[in-house]
Amino acid sequence: MFKWFGLVNYSPYTKVAAFAQHLRDGRLMASRCLRCGRTVFPPKADCVECMGEEFEFVEISGRSTLHTFTKVVTAPTGFEHQAPYVVGVVDLDEGGRALARFGDTLDEDEIEIGMELQVVPRMLEETEEIHVYYSLEAPQ
Amino acid sequence: MDLGLEGQSAIVTGGRSGIGATIARSLAREGCDVAIVDRVVDEEALRLVAEIEAMGRGAMAIEADVRGHEEARRVVDAVLSEVGRLDILVCNAGINRDGVIWKMSEEQWDTVIDVNLKGYFNYNKAAASVFKDQRSGKIVNIASINGLRGKFGQANYAASKAGEIAMSKALARELGKFNVNVNVVAPGMVATEMVRQLPAGFIEQAIDESALGRLGSPEDCADAVVFLCSERARHITGEVVKVDGGQYM
Amino acid sequence: MHRVGIIGIGHGVFGHRSDCSVQELAFEAFRAALEDAGIERQEVDASVIGAVPEYHKQRSLAGVVQEYLGLLPKPTWLTEVACASGSAAVRSAWMAIRAGVHDVVAVIGCQKMTELTTAEILALMGRVGEVQWESGFGTTFPAYYAMFARRHMHEYGTTREQLLEVAIKNHHYGALNPYAMFRKEITREKALASDEVASPFHVYDCCANADGAACVILASEERVRALPVQPVWLSGLGCATASMSVLHRPSLTGLPSAERAAAEAYGMAGVGSDEIEVAEVHDCFTIAEIMAYEDLGFCKKGEGGPFVEDGQARIGGRVAVNVDGGLKAKGHPIGATGVSMIYEICKQLRGEAGDRQVPDASVGLTHNVGGIGQYCFVHVLTRD
Repeated sequence: MFKWFGLVNYSPYTKVAAFAQHLRDGRLMASRCLRCGRTVFPPKADCVECMGEEFEFVEISGRSTLHTFTKVVTAPTGFEHQAPYVVGVVDLDEGGRALARFGDTLDEDEIEIGMELQVVPRMLEETEEIHVYYSLEAPQ
Repeated sequence: MDLGLEGQSAIVTGGRSGIGATIARSLAREGCDVAIVDRVVDEEALRLVAEIEAMGRGAMAIEADVRGHEEARRVVDAVLSEVGRLDILVCNAGINRDGVIWKMSEEQWDTVIDVNLKGYFNYNKAAASVFKDQRSGKIVNIASINGLRGKFGQANYAASKAGEIAMSKALARELGKFNVNVNVVAPGMVATEMVRQLPAGFIEQAIDESALGRLGSPEDCADAVVFLCSERARHITGEVVKVDGGQYM
Repeated sequence: MHRVGIIGIGHGVFGHRSDCSVQELAFEAFRAALEDAGIERQEVDASVIGAVPEYHKQRSLAGVVQEYLGLLPKPTWLTEVACASGSAAVRSAWMAIRAGVHDVVAVIGCQKMTELTTAEILALMGRVGEVQWESGFGTTFPAYYAMFARRHMHEYGTTREQLLEVAIKNHHYGALNPYAMFRKEITREKALASDEVASPFHVYDCCANADGAACVILASEERVRALPVQPVWLSGLGCATASMSVLHRPSLTGLPSAERAAAEAYGMAGVGSDEIEVAEVHDCFTIAEIMAYEDLGFCKKGEGGPFVEDGQARIGGRVAVNVDGGLKAKGHPIGATGVSMIYEICKQLRGEAGDRQVPDASVGLTHNVGGIGQYCFVHVLTRD
């Protein structure tokens, strides 16, 4: 269910809801338009290129390069107890971009624009509710 | 019914004798490699190991006091490194030291709580860490109907058994999203060594209580345990299955 | 002739206006604009309200404001495009006049932000990007611009000191503006020592939430000529959109919507970027002003940092930018900001800006951005 996606979820209803189930199974999915073949991440049910409305999920590797980042100190409501944390925007090797939280494998002072990163599917372990997301980690 | 247990790996604590040994044997019959954990590894334990190996399954006997917290982790690690996998944990090791409360010593209380409840905590924790990372696992904790009702002379035993039941439910909640099932089998009076030593009146009373008019056997308990460890029980978790012939309802 | 002129302007004090409601704020600015125009309220044919509704407990603001201002039963409607709502109201009014539907339209930008707690405001500000794929990770409005800043610093070597120069300049001018929320100059030391918000931003890199209202009255050329006012002409308008999501913008070091809107406005007004003498740009964060110099063509791409460091954005420099304090010193009541910008340029082009006057200014510009650049409105105003 898409309401599982994100450390806090604001948009539980979407045609690409199965993305969250795939993330729970440890797979990062882009979408491919069945009409014209264009692949995008994050996934979209509707293709702006050809106006097609049918898509399929395709797994991507999660390999990426850091485009920019920031350490959030003043956090939005719902995230106060997590602050400070670092979010980054990465350019994915297979195309498209992702915005995600840095995980535990990198120290703040190791973070540099242009570095290689791995986007890793994650599930929050210590909450009763299911929260799936992905984090930015050092490549294996 | 194909239980889907072929090739799986199980740990049974208190597996040297009684209900535990029967559980180990039954799991092996269904295709599991079994590691028996017990305070004493003697001829009886080694005979059980040989019996299981003769079925064509892997078996090992590990001597350990279930009260050891770090030891539990080492036992799990040892099984993982020897067998290469762990899918099932059955916690069965338990004792009783009955007595009325006004005569019950601190030692009587502490020992029963430590072996029964703390022992289950130690092994459940060690297995949970593995199961959660591999996103699969089955835990069955053997409790007792005397954890569901008040039994004369068993303040310590009842507390430990009721504790095992509540703990199992909490764990079912914690581990559910990792695809791990945690259930309880709560036997009534079962015809084992432990029970054969009781005064005849106790046994008679149990038979009278039971709807089916008989004592349970270790096989009766093991069958339920094996089912709960299997693929067929994948949607059962946080459950307490009484195997008591209707002794307590 | 089909030009649209601004015949009256009004502005209230920006800041924590716990003394009044949003409609009372709107009244302050409207009354001042009417007086300034020298017209009666009945001469206003319609109003357009620029405000962002989710900050108010009062639903459907436009009607409430219309009633409070005594403008019933004239037409009104709300325009909302995040922080550019005020400019959208201006454009909307301009369209109505150009279409010949109305002759005189009052544009009121008004906003109360302090009815919400900081936590509620932060929750809303975290949802300016794409809620589906970004907000779930805990983004905030400052975080987005902080990421733009980091990239800009990476690609062009822009420094923290250059970012802070924007704040220092704007607070310097804000101290001279009686309507500004912050009326004190700031020092570099104080700015550097302030609390971190989202790296590399500290408190002084960010504008403040505020309450406030401003009003401008637009009229058709025909009506303008019939009035004894010195109008300011709305000579060029540009409007463009860009991706709401940072995941779909090719470059994060400038706002493509601003470049597009500026080109359109310059084209319509028939002026080049080098002819702009005074400008109000959207300095929601220090980097935003630096990117604005570049997007608007005041300097080359990547040179915004040195531009402000060299004093080119002050009075006497290449173009006087935000010499009313900008969002930084005025505060940013989001619906009101776009209209406040028009107010300031009008003051400048009329020669009424007092100790903040850009000498003989005749061509001015406003640059009003919504959210993290998904909308941009650029207006070119001329004296003649």
